[in-house]
Amino acid sequence: MSNQENRMKSFKNKGRDNQEMRRRRADVSVELRKSRKNDQLLKRRNVTVDNEPTSPLQQQKQPTNQLSTSEIVQGLKTVNFKDTKALFLAVQAIRKLLSRELHPPINEVIDADIIPVLKALLDRNDEPSIQFEAAWALTNIASGTSDQTRTVVNSGAVPEFIKLLSSPHKNVSEQAVWALGNIAGDGPDMRDYVIRNGVIPPLKALIGPDTAATFLRNITWTFSNLCRNKNPSPPAAVAPAVLPTLTDLIYHCDNEVLADACWALSYLTDGTNDRIQQVVAANVIPRLVHLLSCGEVSVMTPSLRALGNIVTGTDEQTQAVVNANALGGFKTLLESKRTNLCKEACWTLSNITAGNVDQIQAVCEASNGKLIEALVTVLQSGEYKCQKEACWAVSNFTTGANVQQIVALVRAGVVPPLCKMLDVKEAKIVMISLDALNNILIAADKLEQKPKITAVIEQIGALDTIEKLQAHTNEEIYQKALHIIDNHFPLEEEEIVEIMPETNQQGNFQLNVAASQPVGGFKF
Amino acid sequence: MLISDLRKEFYDVILHKHVLLMVAFDVDALCACKILISLFQCDSVHYTLVPVSGQQDLERAFLEHSEQIKHVVLINCGANINLLDVLQPEDDVTFFVCDSHRPIDLVNVYNDTQVKLLLDSTEQLTIPSYEDIFNDEESDSDDSGNESESSQPDKRRRLDEESIVRKLEKKRARRLWEESRQKIIFQYEEFSFYSNSAAYVIYQLAWKLSKDSNDLLWWSIIGLTDQLLSKKIDREKYFLDASELNRHVSRHNRLGQEEDAAQQSVNAMKITFNPELQLALYRHWSLFDSICHSSYTACNLRLWTARGFKKLHEFLADMGMPLTQCKQKFTAMDIAYRETFCDSLQNSGKKYGLDQITVPSFYAQFGYKNKFCAFDAVHAASALLESIEKDKVGDANFLEALDALSRVHLDKLESGLEISKRQHKAIVSQIRTLLDMNHVVSAGPFLYAYIQEGTLDVKFFSKANCLALLARFTLEAFVKMSKSKKVKNLPLVMVAPLDSEQGTSLVVGVPPLMELENSPRSLFGRAFEQTAEKTGSRVLHDSFDPSIFALKTEDRSKFFDALVSLLS
Repeated sequence: MSNQENRMKSFKNKGRDNQEMRRRRADVSVELRKSRKNDQLLKRRNVTVDNEPTSPLQQQKQPTNQLSTSEIVQGLKTVNFKDTKALFLAVQAIRKLLSRELHPPINEVIDADIIPVLKALLDRNDEPSIQFEAAWALTNIASGTSDQTRTVVNSGAVPEFIKLLSSPHKNVSEQAVWALGNIAGDGPDMRDYVIRNGVIPPLKALIGPDTAATFLRNITWTFSNLCRNKNPSPPAAVAPAVLPTLTDLIYHCDNEVLADACWALSYLTDGTNDRIQQVVAANVIPRLVHLLSCGEVSVMTPSLRALGNIVTGTDEQTQAVVNANALGGFKTLLESKRTNLCKEACWTLSNITAGNVDQIQAVCEASNGKLIEALVTVLQSGEYKCQKEACWAVSNFTTGANVQQIVALVRAGVVPPLCKMLDVKEAKIVMISLDALNNILIAADKLEQKPKITAVIEQIGALDTIEKLQAHTNEEIYQKALHIIDNHFPLEEEEIVEIMPETNQQGNFQLNVAASQPVGGFKF
Repeated sequence: MLISDLRKEFYDVILHKHVLLMVAFDVDALCACKILISLFQCDSVHYTLVPVSGQQDLERAFLEHSEQIKHVVLINCGANINLLDVLQPEDDVTFFVCDSHRPIDLVNVYNDTQVKLLLDSTEQLTIPSYEDIFNDEESDSDDSGNESESSQPDKRRRLDEESIVRKLEKKRARRLWEESRQKIIFQYEEFSFYSNSAAYVIYQLAWKLSKDSNDLLWWSIIGLTDQLLSKKIDREKYFLDASELNRHVSRHNRLGQEEDAAQQSVNAMKITFNPELQLALYRHWSLFDSICHSSYTACNLRLWTARGFKKLHEFLADMGMPLTQCKQKFTAMDIAYRETFCDSLQNSGKKYGLDQITVPSFYAQFGYKNKFCAFDAVHAASALLESIEKDKVGDANFLEALDALSRVHLDKLESGLEISKRQHKAIVSQIRTLLDMNHVVSAGPFLYAYIQEGTLDVKFFSKANCLALLARFTLEAFVKMSKSKKVKNLPLVMVAPLDSEQGTSLVVGVPPLMELENSPRSLFGRAFEQTAEKTGSRVLHDSFDPSIFALKTEDRSKFFDALVSLLS
């Protein structure tokens, strides 16, 4: 058992510890942005900065638009505060400026120094319509950059907004929720500042059986921002305070509410094992597993993320996910056209296969053994991002599995695609692929079936690849490649090795494994 | 980006630079490459020549050289694939593409910085407008939907009701735009066809640089002739371009001025514009063999039938040619017959439905012995390119063919002629088998023929151009033999084994005979792609011509079932 424990550590702490996983998750958004940039292929022509094409609607609103920003700002500064009607119109004009779709003049409004004025108006309990307009304007200012958000906070608006949460006017309290959400979303500092001001109790109080769905969406989103961001994570007291609410919200029928609630859970699980334990103890796993196969991508993504975070925890925490039959839905996820889902599913699987033999057995048995076949398919023909994660999953699998489990994996055709991963540029991936091959060969040796595997490896030309890897600049790769050649490939094969590269050069249309990826693989 | 001032926008840019020259495997490309290289030699441009047989080759070669070389010239490849997407070049790499494949990929057309397409200034292109294809302002509205799925917004601005409505409206407009974009692109890419010969385009550059000569001109003639022989362009286009080239020919060869001709050394090359018989290689073969192995005569006389064969003898008798003379090597034929047979062939030809047996063409003469017609030079070069001799890889074939085009390597040209004869024999006997065994079948929307594994000379047909040649020849023969009029409007798909060890086949689609004769264009490129996608067949679209691809033999039946239903 202690041996088992050790190996565990070597996975979850050394091989790919939480730090590393965190890094990899941070990559997601960067990659996304990059790929989006690539989509735009042609970087010619600047975006024309002008008003929208004229639509009948726009023509209607022309009159309000005719005043310039500075005139509107002046309007608020010079208006007689006693004249509530005029005051309302002045604030509304500002709000409209800030809520147009393109290029809202946030900085101009900040520079005009009217944020204190707007903040002061939040106090006008006698005029809820003015409160509402001012809150909206401030919400939109807080939606900008960190600096812009900070100007709102520095005006002392946060306590005012928290007071407004209990306003009898629904539109006012909804707007306050939104504003606080924006502020909390700015980062750990702002989040903790909002929490210290006591946002959670009144926010929870807003949720009732007759809360409108749109309102509830805003509340849920604000909750998620209160759980969001790391370095540092939210105060330890937050999770116990919000988990009961979130546990209710994940049973709501609105997809946006569900999505935001799941995101909140995914943030809460993105941390140390005791943080994960708080969420596991709230007994949300069965529902998250259920949502995993709800078909709505915007909900599936965060619930998968939350479950994926949970299985980075201890064996028991991982087991809780396995027990809830989460693996049942994974085959569909691996076959999903959404790269992101597929990739995260593989990542989650890799952490499950890094578990104990029973957990690996659960992976083997999932979907009547079809899950590992789906995993092999991803490794074979998925997008590179997914292949990488699948490679981790396979490599972890071979390290922890018993001989029968490895046989099952090999029967699913893992060897050819695994060999193909030896061609990638990333050294780490090559390394874990070599590890996996080595583990498979060792297992095959125990069953005295090694020649079958080595024959496959030779047949698809992977032996050459391994030979070439001995010339790799990375010392560790060299060692691993050398180890495989020395231990699994006896010397007399040398002649074959000589001939192979030549035949490879011959064909112009090389429809070999690397090019066309025959499905099914090699069976023995 | 399209450029037509080749001198300023292309040649002046690459002068004094190191250039990577990537050339496709066809005779036209070979000739363009020849011309360009001789220009480079004049101006000491440092170049690296890499023959590329397909897209994979292109990617590999580019990867290998892209670190050192920033100026890449692509000949007869690259125009119809999205270069930026396929090759992922750094920002400082510039591609100059001289390619006759059409339609040109739209990203290539509209990229202003990295892709320059060298075009003949007279070419008429119909290209969808930029606004219809690309949307510059796709930043916010549309992507927010996708992004929210993989992450959650941390801050949100509350918009006006009006803005929200407007946003929806914009989305709708965008959807409509998207639909029309799909349609425009579909129409644009529906058919693949060929435009001006690359050799001709490059020759014009040489002319503008005042560096053209008879040698360069001869290569551009061969390039153009290749386009005609491989049915990439129709006769009309060929006539137009040939008469254009003829002006250059008369400029260089000042016909009719006796004293000039006398001054020239016999060893200098002379090019003559002359009607040429559509008989393959007859100067290097026997007349009889040539008639039997040329598509025009063989198909029109229906030489695969006993009656047709009898008719051939009748025809020769009508010409007044003794059979022994016809079966003699052409060079050994009686001089009297050699001088007159051309006229008598044309005269008798009219009675036998061979009234179009001549095509205006060119021949080059140098020294006392050497006289080559452009047709034969094309046959020789393309045979060398696809030589199937053992232990010769693609690149060696390419260099061999490149050499054969030079006057100093006549031996190579002659070996090419020999290979070409073998190719022709293989083709004709293959057609005989196909017709005798009724192996050309109608699949409904197209004709279908399958070359079986283990057939004699099957190796020849594992090469794209040779298989395409066979396919066109077969189609013509089949149409001429068939009683049905409908077949004239049917395209043909032909499959031949490519690599028996890997279990792959080569598939080629040729347009209907009607179209082959009149602005040839093929719809198979897209159809093949779609079918492969739908059936999940394992295919490799490696060739630069989209109507040629490799297929896992096991997937053949499911692929063709789906292709039938797609095209009917």
